[in-house]
Amino acid sequence: MRDRVVYQLSAPYREPYTLRALEFGSGGPTVAIVAGLHGNELNGVHALNLVASALRMARLNGTVTLIPVVNTFGLDQGTKRWPIDDNDINQAFPGDPQGSAVQRIAFALLEATQAEVCVDVHSGSPLVDEICQARVPLTGREVGLARAMGLPMVWRREGDRLEATGLVGAWRERGVAALHVVGGRGATLDLARSRQIADGLLRLLTEVGVLRFGMEPGKILVDATRRGVAYHYSSFGGFWVPEVAVGDRVAAGHLLGTINEVVGGSLVEEVRADRAGVVVTMRSYPVVHARELLVRVAEPT
Amino acid sequence: MPTGDAVHIVRRRFVGAPGPRVAIVAGIRGDTPEGVRVAHKVASLLEQHHDALRGTVDIYPCVNPLAAHRGERYWPFFSQDLNRCFPGRLEGHAPDRVAYTLTEEVRDAAQVIELRGANPAFSEAPQAHVRARDTQAADLARHANVNVVWARQPGPAAGSTFAWQHPNTLVLEGGTGNRLQPKVGVALTEGVLNVLNVLGVLPDAILPFHWATITRPLMVGDDRVHRVRAVAGGLFLPSRGVWDEVEAGDVIGEIIEATAGEPIETIRAPASGRILAMREQPVVLPGSMLARVVVTATQESA
Repeated sequence: MRDRVVYQLSAPYREPYTLRALEFGSGGPTVAIVAGLHGNELNGVHALNLVASALRMARLNGTVTLIPVVNTFGLDQGTKRWPIDDNDINQAFPGDPQGSAVQRIAFALLEATQAEVCVDVHSGSPLVDEICQARVPLTGREVGLARAMGLPMVWRREGDRLEATGLVGAWRERGVAALHVVGGRGATLDLARSRQIADGLLRLLTEVGVLRFGMEPGKILVDATRRGVAYHYSSFGGFWVPEVAVGDRVAAGHLLGTINEVVGGSLVEEVRADRAGVVVTMRSYPVVHARELLVRVAEPT
Repeated sequence: MPTGDAVHIVRRRFVGAPGPRVAIVAGIRGDTPEGVRVAHKVASLLEQHHDALRGTVDIYPCVNPLAAHRGERYWPFFSQDLNRCFPGRLEGHAPDRVAYTLTEEVRDAAQVIELRGANPAFSEAPQAHVRARDTQAADLARHANVNVVWARQPGPAAGSTFAWQHPNTLVLEGGTGNRLQPKVGVALTEGVLNVLNVLGVLPDAILPFHWATITRPLMVGDDRVHRVRAVAGGLFLPSRGVWDEVEAGDVIGEIIEATAGEPIETIRAPASGRILAMREQPVVLPGSMLARVVVTATQESA
């Protein structure tokens, strides 16, 4: 393993910002995996360190570049964005070597991840719990790679709103097979989900031929497009009390949770599943406003 | 709201004789009270003189009240930048719906004016932003009592900003985020009133200033605005102020090492002109923007 400093930026009051990459093996095929673009999304950081442990003991046929945390300053302070100017590194791509700090980091990261297959690992927001999932375009090589990961959900979807300036979008602009992996919730470490993401990444490395592990295939619960995912929103503000959890199977009409008055607790609204499926997203922070996303239920495979 | 109370986004409507409709929007970000103050000042004058109005003026003094309540830039909870939510979605969560409603509200306006303050890290001279090649907006901006009219090429996020949703939108800004600067507030207030006068909405007689006092702005494109960035990280100490005249190579500040205080970088003006923006927040990293210098001489006269 080579522990390489990809980029450094001097900083007042502390040691320089340092972007580190862990590199394993040599030659092709090449895979780059990134986590911690957002400083408060920790499951991916742990997952990549688990992958690094496995790769230290493996014989590789190709090259794997792991960057477990990009936004180290944000991670130190528990913030999603780059803390000094409150900018989102994941909105600074393709970056600029002469630009602001986040633009320079974005540029250096893109240069350091020139691989055939790239993965960017995130958690959900600190307010929302997400099933482990690989988000990919509707068609193309990424779909097969996502299925090979065997995470509980493969979500084939059109580009996100931020993709033009995000890392995954920047990779796709370069013609790279790029996967966007999401699992768990921000500002927490979920050991089981981190393990699940790590296993998925090892399966991906096996699929592209870098590893020759004989791993058990993962169990895909949902393989859906946007049409196969039902969004349930709050009609009113109040105190959200969930009745189900991420990964639960529910029937149509099943009670997903209730909104209650903050003072007194009287029932304001019952939220029920509009279709049978698997709970893939759950609002975990209980204080909600009207029309906020509470639960996503996806049709099972 | 979850606790059962409500937050209102207020529209103040002033209707006069038949004429054009103008929409004035402020406070899209919660750390820009200067724009909110200007909106209130304009509304106050219209209230006194609504009989003299020709047309309709709709003023939205603060469209991100939850963020303004905290003095923060973004809509709380999901920390959403409202100025990246446009044109919005009726079925979305609160910031998406606010964006959608506002987009629909201004759709049939003859003219839209967005009032901003500056980013809290900077002090800015009063300025108008218009889209590059939008000559109608640029011509109108000449009357906005600003130092500079900057015709800007759109960035990658332009399509999701409020100003992009309506053609010819004028964006007026100046001062410092989360601060009120009396001179900037007066300049922008008089600028909005003068624009209303040029549009035929307000008669000369009720303007609380003489037209001859209106600043004649520099008209510039991106090529005449130079960004000055830090090479070293440390504490930036400016030695010049906003709208100071500078020659290329003049010292405009220095960066000192943050713990020992030793000077580590001298910051110089990259071109001759005026300081359009100066950094107020001293902590900088390599690449942090320190100042903007606008070239005052045209190519012909330089």
